[in-house]
Amino acid sequence: MSESPNPEELRIGVYVCHCGTNIAGVIPPDEVAEWASHLPGVVHAADTLYACADSGQTLIKNDIKKYNLNRVVVSACSVRMHEATFRGAVSEAGLNPFLMEMANIREQCTWAHGHDKEGALKKAKDLTAAAIAKARFLAPLEMITVPVTKRAMVIGGGVAGISTALDLADQGIETILVEKEPTIGGVMAQLNKTFPTMDCSI
Amino acid sequence: MVDAARHPKIDVRTYTQVERVEGFVGNFKVQLREKARYVIADRCNGCGDCAKVCPIEVPNRFELDLAPRKAAYVAMSQSVPLLYTIDQEACIHCYKCVEACGALDAIDFSQEDKIVWEDIGAIVVATGFNHFDPSVIPEYGYNQYPNVITAMEMERLNNSAGPTVGNLIRPSDGENPKRLAIINCVGSRDKRFNPWCSNFCCMYAIKNAVLLKQMYPEIELSIYYIDIRTPSKGYEEFYERAREMGIKFIQGRPSLITEDKKSHNLFVHSEDITLGLVTEYEYDMVMLNQAAVPQPDVDSVSSVLNIQQSPGGWFMEYHPKLRPLDTPTDGIFIAGACQGPKDIPASVASGSATASRAGRILHSDEWEIEPIIAQVWEDRCVSADGKKCGICAKACPYNAITVEVGTAAQVTTAKCHGCGGCVAECPHNAITQLHYTDAQILAQIRALLADKPEEKIFAFRCHWCSYGGADMAGTSHFEYSANERGVRVMCSARMDTDFIYEAYRLGAGAVLYSGCHPQDCHYITGQLVGASRAERLQKIFDKMGMSPGRFRIEWISAAEGQKYANVIDEMQQTIDEIGKEKLLAEIESMKPEMEKRARRMYEVPDVTDASDYSDKMKIAMTLEVVDIGK
Repeated sequence: MSESPNPEELRIGVYVCHCGTNIAGVIPPDEVAEWASHLPGVVHAADTLYACADSGQTLIKNDIKKYNLNRVVVSACSVRMHEATFRGAVSEAGLNPFLMEMANIREQCTWAHGHDKEGALKKAKDLTAAAIAKARFLAPLEMITVPVTKRAMVIGGGVAGISTALDLADQGIETILVEKEPTIGGVMAQLNKTFPTMDCSI
Repeated sequence: MVDAARHPKIDVRTYTQVERVEGFVGNFKVQLREKARYVIADRCNGCGDCAKVCPIEVPNRFELDLAPRKAAYVAMSQSVPLLYTIDQEACIHCYKCVEACGALDAIDFSQEDKIVWEDIGAIVVATGFNHFDPSVIPEYGYNQYPNVITAMEMERLNNSAGPTVGNLIRPSDGENPKRLAIINCVGSRDKRFNPWCSNFCCMYAIKNAVLLKQMYPEIELSIYYIDIRTPSKGYEEFYERAREMGIKFIQGRPSLITEDKKSHNLFVHSEDITLGLVTEYEYDMVMLNQAAVPQPDVDSVSSVLNIQQSPGGWFMEYHPKLRPLDTPTDGIFIAGACQGPKDIPASVASGSATASRAGRILHSDEWEIEPIIAQVWEDRCVSADGKKCGICAKACPYNAITVEVGTAAQVTTAKCHGCGGCVAECPHNAITQLHYTDAQILAQIRALLADKPEEKIFAFRCHWCSYGGADMAGTSHFEYSANERGVRVMCSARMDTDFIYEAYRLGAGAVLYSGCHPQDCHYITGQLVGASRAERLQKIFDKMGMSPGRFRIEWISAAEGQKYANVIDEMQQTIDEIGKEKLLAEIESMKPEMEKRARRMYEVPDVTDASDYSDKMKIAMTLEVVDIGK
């Protein structure tokens, strides 16, 4: 298990994204960044128009070197959207990808609280602070590599399943096509001609 | 179809069902049930002699029951594989087929279902869709009026391989219809049944009309529609062509079909929006263009493969734009209409696309997975001191933990999927989860409740579902109270009682304990571990006299944005109704008990650091711009 870093050595960089007007239309990202710059462990905080764009990622990468950052917080969209993007960015700058933490101030803040700008701003600050707080305790981790069985299974022998199986098999991958009925073909096999070319279905 | 059967790299397993899926990306184990056909596949040459002598006739489902088949049957002459099956439910065991098969000896009544396991690297789910049954629509008279048929029945009736060899006849009298109406959106775009547009039916109606016009130039054809939707390439042109051929398009959803009892002719009552009139036209035959609906076994497929459903029961993609064919489980993909109504070109395209998604994995020798796994603090595990425990092993859905008295519990890394259930269940705080440690989560909770905690609705969300539901609320701009604050863990199993106590100790106004629906759990039974803990907590809080609604348990899928927003707003209403004064008094009175209960957690290595840091964080967060010297 990795040692938690000494708080004195913490060097957190915080990036608050505008996402065009998706975030900046509701709250001022520069105010969040300024506020975050005073939180414990934060050595640099900035707002950026699009954190996920090449310019935003370059900014983060350059700052990691410039400020010798050992944690990065990106206050932007959902982890389901761009966690991989920012892990990639910090990794390219030599930081372990698990030392990046995101705050979701778009899907779970500005998009959900457009009617309450003051409340949204408070929440964006809190979410950013929570990400910084988690970042303080992040530890570098290595991905686990697993072997791959080079066989595919396609479940369902209709037109989609048949297409998938043929394309996989043409790539040289051994493929099992499973169909619960006694024949493959699915709904497609029951059709007469098909639009818009009026060719037959089978 | 034939290409797939002949491909040397494709092993077609028909009459086979997937029963269990275990393992993880690159390393799935799939249990298949190969149903007994009572015909030996290697011997059957598809000659059909068995069917010829079979005395039993039952309706042929492939022909929509419009034609019979024998108990020894193939669905159609182009079946792939061309291999007969004996329908045991219909068979009377006269064994005439055995005799007819003769020297080939391909029939074997002693066959039983076979269970086989396969090692698989990646799985594509393409289980398709089903057709809406229009007999539940009272005003259209399907199943009452013989000449009201469905679109799929039409497919068989005008198909040269169908039961009438392509001769379209009225079921009532065998005559060719001279006037035919096609009604669109039957069960689609209808709030009584299915709200969605079934995507392909407009084109499908036009296709059938064009085909029939070519076959029967004298036929009068009318298509009743709400909107004609032709967004793909060549579709609008095809629609134009239909209009030029003289097919009539009537904008309006028919409100009623009535029948002349003698002639079995039909009267379609409908508004014609273009003319601004209410119309009633007579037809010889009416075709109902049924909605596409999910397969009836969608729930069992969901739970075997761990795929969430969008509203209505379609399989849900991980992200509608960025990962439209992925499921949340790495290595499992969805293709075709199981995801939502798709026409043939779109189904083929999604099939090819998933082959490419799966190919990324299957062409690699190794695949990377996130190291979010459990680790044991060996010096804290009581098993190492010779005490019997094993609670962690019981909570693990993957049998990834071995406990032997005398040594600390051992986690098998390759088996651990990282739900965190063992971490939260361990009564000695002897297990941690990488990337979701107690210290990390505690630091978040404390930061989020640093300022005016009594106003906050504190939400614990699981990564795969309720966090996704919160995302969906935002993406859909379903607004809810901005007093919500949340932390994300991988599974509700990770939501430690200590976290909840800590949130209340800090003065949270209300706490939401949320995760997936039981059948959606990404970690098999993780949700059950989380749910039983949440229910225990509810009892404790009730006993403590906590105001009802301050602790709430909700299971919310990634598709249920509206639900997430509603739940938060209802919780806001609850704390508003309690009133600030009473709420603060209640929080204050329960604080010592909460602190006592949360205390265990403070013993966790590095949580002490978290407390020091949180104090600093709180000061920095709650003061107006003050430099505290970091």
